Formats: sequence, structure tokens, C-alpha cells
Amino acid sequence: MRFEFTAEENDFRRQISEFLDDVLPDNWGGSTYMSDDDSWAMDQQFRNELVKRKWLVMSWPKQYGGSDSSPMMNTIFADEMAYRRAPGLDGFGTRMLGPTLMAFGNEEQRTQHLGAIARGEVQWCQGYSEPNSGSDLASIQTRAVLDGDEFVINGAKIWTTMGHRADMMFMLVRTNPDEPLHAGISLLLVDMKTLGIEVKPIVNMADIHHFNQVIFDDVRVPKANLVGDLNDGWRVGMTILNHERSGIEFAAGARAAIEELIVYINNDDSPVSQAKSDPNIRIKIAELSTEVEAARLLCYDVTWRHGEGLEPSFEASMSKVAGTEIYQKVLDFGLEILGMYGGLIVGSPQAELQGRFLKMRMLSTATTIFSGTNEIQKNIIAQRGLGLPRIRRAAKTT
Amino acid sequence: MDFGLTETQELIRNSAREFLADRSDSSVVRAVANGDTEALASLWKDVVELGWPALTIAKEHGGAGLSFSDLAVLLTELGASLAPTPIVESAITSRIIERYGSDALKSDLLPQAAEGDVLITPAILERDVSWEADSATMAATRTNNGLVITGEKRFVSFAEQATHVLTLVRTDGGEPALVVVPIWKSTGVDQTPLEHVSGVPVSSLTFNEVEVSEANIVATGDEAIAATDELVAAGAVARATQLAGLGRAVVEATVDYTANREQFGQAVGSFQAVQHHLAEMAIAAKQVNHLVHSAAWSFSQDGYSVERAAQAKIAASEKISALCWTAHQCHGAIGFTWEHDLHLYTRRALAWKTDYGDSAFHKSKLATSLGL
Repeated sequence: MRFEFTAEENDFRRQISEFLDDVLPDNWGGSTYMSDDDSWAMDQQFRNELVKRKWLVMSWPKQYGGSDSSPMMNTIFADEMAYRRAPGLDGFGTRMLGPTLMAFGNEEQRTQHLGAIARGEVQWCQGYSEPNSGSDLASIQTRAVLDGDEFVINGAKIWTTMGHRADMMFMLVRTNPDEPLHAGISLLLVDMKTLGIEVKPIVNMADIHHFNQVIFDDVRVPKANLVGDLNDGWRVGMTILNHERSGIEFAAGARAAIEELIVYINNDDSPVSQAKSDPNIRIKIAELSTEVEAARLLCYDVTWRHGEGLEPSFEASMSKVAGTEIYQKVLDFGLEILGMYGGLIVGSPQAELQGRFLKMRMLSTATTIFSGTNEIQKNIIAQRGLGLPRIRRAAKTT
Repeated sequence: MDFGLTETQELIRNSAREFLADRSDSSVVRAVANGDTEALASLWKDVVELGWPALTIAKEHGGAGLSFSDLAVLLTELGASLAPTPIVESAITSRIIERYGSDALKSDLLPQAAEGDVLITPAILERDVSWEADSATMAATRTNNGLVITGEKRFVSFAEQATHVLTLVRTDGGEPALVVVPIWKSTGVDQTPLEHVSGVPVSSLTFNEVEVSEANIVATGDEAIAATDELVAAGAVARATQLAGLGRAVVEATVDYTANREQFGQAVGSFQAVQHHLAEMAIAAKQVNHLVHSAAWSFSQDGYSVERAAQAKIAASEKISALCWTAHQCHGAIGFTWEHDLHLYTRRALAWKTDYGDSAFHKSKLATSLGL
């Protein structure tokens, strides 16, 4: 056991930090206070910077434009970027689709898509959830019917983050309606400009437009856009879903927030600086810092396992649950510290910390729900991790 | 970062598991809790033969020269088996003597501690049960040859088995001194055995003009405070590490029970309400495991991390005791019985959560260290 980073790893973290010092505006607190257009513009500009430094797809093999960097380096990168609330990352292209194509795509698909992702030229979105298929994802109903050399897609996807900015979508569709659940699903790549696709905005409770509903009305997609085998989409789409996912963003976000709060109440100019002499606040900060470190170690455990070739499965679920829960708790605590100021919305006169904590707390509500709700994660931990039996479903009566 | 065990650590873990399964099963734990000092002495004799008291003592003093991280691997197993044996007491007093004591004291005591011929247990707490080194009041008068000590120390573990205590006193001018006091068959030391939830011997000790030679003084002044702080921090991490092992054992036992107990025609462990309890317990146990090993690792470097030690004890104290109560809930009525072993874990967890500072004590330490 060694609970320390290597000199090389520390040096890399420093490089990222210095880069961010250079390129982020002073007192940067994340893009949550910006307009959707401004935030998107900054995202793209930042992505180019990451491409220039060969960091955007550093985890990829060299042959696809990556640096073959170790899982530990990748997590350190994600940790530092999230800690500084830096924009520019592309989870859908670089972390989900890229590795999926490397594992299941054909040569043509790799040539066509991987380079564009690596150069930061294309925005992907993910078409998995549907209005009636959330946690029970295998029940998706969006149909794709083969008609000559094309699939014809009808149905609707929802909670499509970046759907309104995306050039392309990778989506799960039902290609065999006789196979009700996991079997009968395929993974398709779809150009968002195809005729018959309608993207409708969904504004979230933080008053931000990230989500969309995407309607498919006789959308024709070349057969060549099928990834992997027909009706094997569940395996293709799921294998990568939790791959390399350490969950460090949440622990990093929580770490950033608690450190920001400590600095904030220690500043005598802060209107709530009396909080620093409140013994309850001291105790609460000690508690939260302990929880943040506990969550962070789980993420690095997942990363270490990945590096050792041990398949992290339920460990990734643990880090997701722990990270998202502590992230929300720290933000709750931030609002408590801010008291009445906590209720001031971004842009309000007299807002403290830019009104960011309210916005972040609202946004963080999604974290315990997306990518498999925390309840689903706990089922995975109990069943895959602890070996507890699955509940026997009641037999269907007709 | 490396979350895996070294070869040495795997060896320690495997041999400890094998030995403890045989020699520290619940019948031994219960016997010792019932005051069977022979069972305790016989276990200690075997533990000494395995070389466990020598584990972290330097080779030049007759020890194995292994690290605090290596010790932590053993401590998780001792915690998982509730082994009633004073390894923590022996290891942390040896560490402090090794790091702060004079060469003469080290060459006198450490080889004997490694051999199990002496057992030195910490005696820090007084009536106010404060783990703050500064709050010690037990009086010591300076003489030509050393100190004469009069006063009381409370909650001393394994005092009946110990040959010495490592204790903090105040000399005439109020200067603190950390000193090794022989107590074995000492006429000036009275023991009051306490009835304690831990299930291992815990006593209060009264010192009546006990003479201690100058050579037994480990440190004085600020150094005595620093040494005592380190003793308490090391004890906190050691107890937290035992709690991590205890938590792991309770999760395993609860998985085993709920996977086999059937109601409504199926295992109760298949119900989500129960699975979510267990998933949360498993997360807590793993988090505590990582925090304690991270803290133990810092003790393997030069010095130690105050923050990591505090985080380890805060998390272990709160999460593992909570995990035990949830385990009772998952076990239903059977876990409420005296006959079932679950309460042995719960009782030990209750004792360990306060030992070497409860979570409130360590939160205060941590807050200060975070700049508050």
C-alpha cells in the first residue's frame, strides 16, 4: 500500500494547475453563471486548448491520437479539471463513444469518427433514456427497422444532454421487438442533421438548458452506422458505460466547494465571517472534509484497480454513491453558511460567491439520479459486490 | 497510489487470519469478557511467539523493523476477530519510546517488549477523561534520582497484564513529563478493575508516592506534549484500524445471515430495503478501510499526518458503530440475543469509538488543522 502520488503524477497535476491558472479568468467559479451561448463558446475554446496540449484524449492509444496515459494520470487530470471547475471536457465523445468504437466499431467507423473526436471537432450526445425507460433502460421502445441499406427510426429519447449542440448521437434502439428486454437492442450512430429529427429543449430546475427531448420521425440512417452486431447493442452500449469511470468529478467538486467555504468564512470582509468562530461550523467542516477524503479515496481505488487490470464494477458504484452524496451535502452546507445570502440567485445585487452555491446545489440534484440512480447503484453493490440474491419477480399471470 | 498489499502484508494477513480463526473465536472473546485471565494469558503467550509485539520495533532493538502500514494489516485482522490481546498498547508505546526515548531506555525496554517480557500500556486519561495532553494533572515531585508520583489515571487497558505504564505527569513547576512507570507488583500502585463494555480488562490506577528513576523519563516539556499527542494519534489510528476490520467482519456476517434467512419464501437479503442497508454498510466499511490505511501510511513516514489520523478516527468511530446498529436491524430478533455473537462486535465498537479520542475530539483537531 502506498497513499501518495509519484513525483511524476504530482508534476503532472502541477502542470494542469498552472495551465488553468493561465487560461481561466480570475476568481473563476465555473461556468454555471454564464448564458448557455457564452458557456458553449467557452467550452469550445477550452477544448481547443486541451487538444493543443494533447490532453483531450490522453487516455486513448497512440494510434488514435492519444498518449496511452495510465488510468492514474487520467483520474488526476479529471480530478484537477473538476476541482477547478474547468470547462472543455467531452465525456460523450472522448470517454464513452471513443472507447466503444475502439472495442466494437469497424475500421471505417474508427477512421471516420475517432480523429474528429480527438481533434475536438465534433460534439456527440447520448441517446439512451426514453420517456418510459429510465432506470429500466432495457425496456426502451424506440424502433429501428431495416429497410434495404437503411434503418428507419421512430420514437423519442429524453434527458439528452447537449442534444441542441450535438453534431452526432450514439443511440440505443430496439431492432427486434420480439425480444423484450436486453436482447433485441442495437447501437446506432446518427447524424443530428438527418431529416425527421426534432430537438426540443428541457430547462432544468437550475434554470439551465442542458437537456433535450429528441423526437425521431421516420429518420433514415445508413446500415453502416450500426456499431457491433445487430441486436448486440446492450453489450456494446453497457460495456463502456462504467468503464474508466472513477467518479472523481463529484469528490473533486466537493473538495473545491469545502475549501472555498473555508477561505470564504476566514475572510474578514465576508458578511458571514462570524461563522468561523462558531463551534458547530468547525465540527461540520471537519465532518464534511472527512467525508470528502473518504469519497476521494474510493475513486482512486477504482482507478488503481483499473490500472492493475482488476475490473472495477461495484467499486465504481460505491464511488458514485459516496461522491454524489457528499457533493450535495457540501453544497447544502454552503447554503447554510450563506444563510439569507444563500437564497440570492446568480446576477442578484448583493449576491455572495456569485450566487453560485444555490445554482450548484440545484444542478447537483441530478447527480444522485443520472448514470444509474444511487438506488440502482446500491442494488449493484449488494448483488454484484456482496453476492446477495436478486429478488424473484412475481410470475406473470395472464 | 497503491491499494494493494505487499508480499509481507499478505503474509501477515494470511497468517493472522489462520491463527485468529483458531485462537480467537467467540468462545475466547466471551471467556475473556467474563474475566478469564488464563484465556487472555494463553492467547498473549501465542501472540508473543508469533512475534507480533516485535513487529514494528526496529531490528537493532530486537524487533522485525516493519512499518506502521504493515502493523495496520495485522490490526484489521485483530479487529475482525475481536482478539482480546494488547497489541495496540504494546505497539504504540514501543513507537513513542523508540522515537522520543533515550538510547539507554530504548536498549533496556524495547528488546524486552519485543520478546513480550515487558508489556507497556498507555495511562493517559484522568478523571476528566480528556485526551488533550495539556490537561494532565497527575503530580510528580523531582528528587535526586528521578520522580515520585502521586495521583490517579483512569481507563488503562490491560493494566492487570502490563508490567509498565507510559504516563504523563506534571512536575513541581508544572512542567509535563512523559515517563515509563513499572507497575508490576509495585506496592505503590493500586488497581481498580472497571466493568467495561469492551470485554477486555480496563482499570483505573492510583499511584501513591511511586518512585521512578530519571532514566525512565521519555520526554519533558513541549517534547512530552508532542510525544503524548503522537501517542494518542497513533492509538486513534490503531483503534480506527481495528474498527475497520470489525466493520468488515460485521458486513460479512450480515451478508451471510440475510442471504440465508428466508421470509415470504425468499432470502430477506433479496429485498431492496435490506440490500440498501448492506450496500451503505459496505461503502462505509470500505471508506473507513481506506482512510485508516492512508493514515497508517503517514505513520510509516517520518512523523505522521495529523489530518489523516483525525479523519480516520472520525470516520471509524461514527461509521462503524452506526454500521453495527444497522447490522442489528438486518439480523432482526436473533441479533438482539445474548447468545448471538453480534453484540460482541457492537460492544467492542462502542468501546473503541471513544478510545483515543471520540469523533468530537478529532473533529476539533481537524478543524484547527484546516485553518479554522
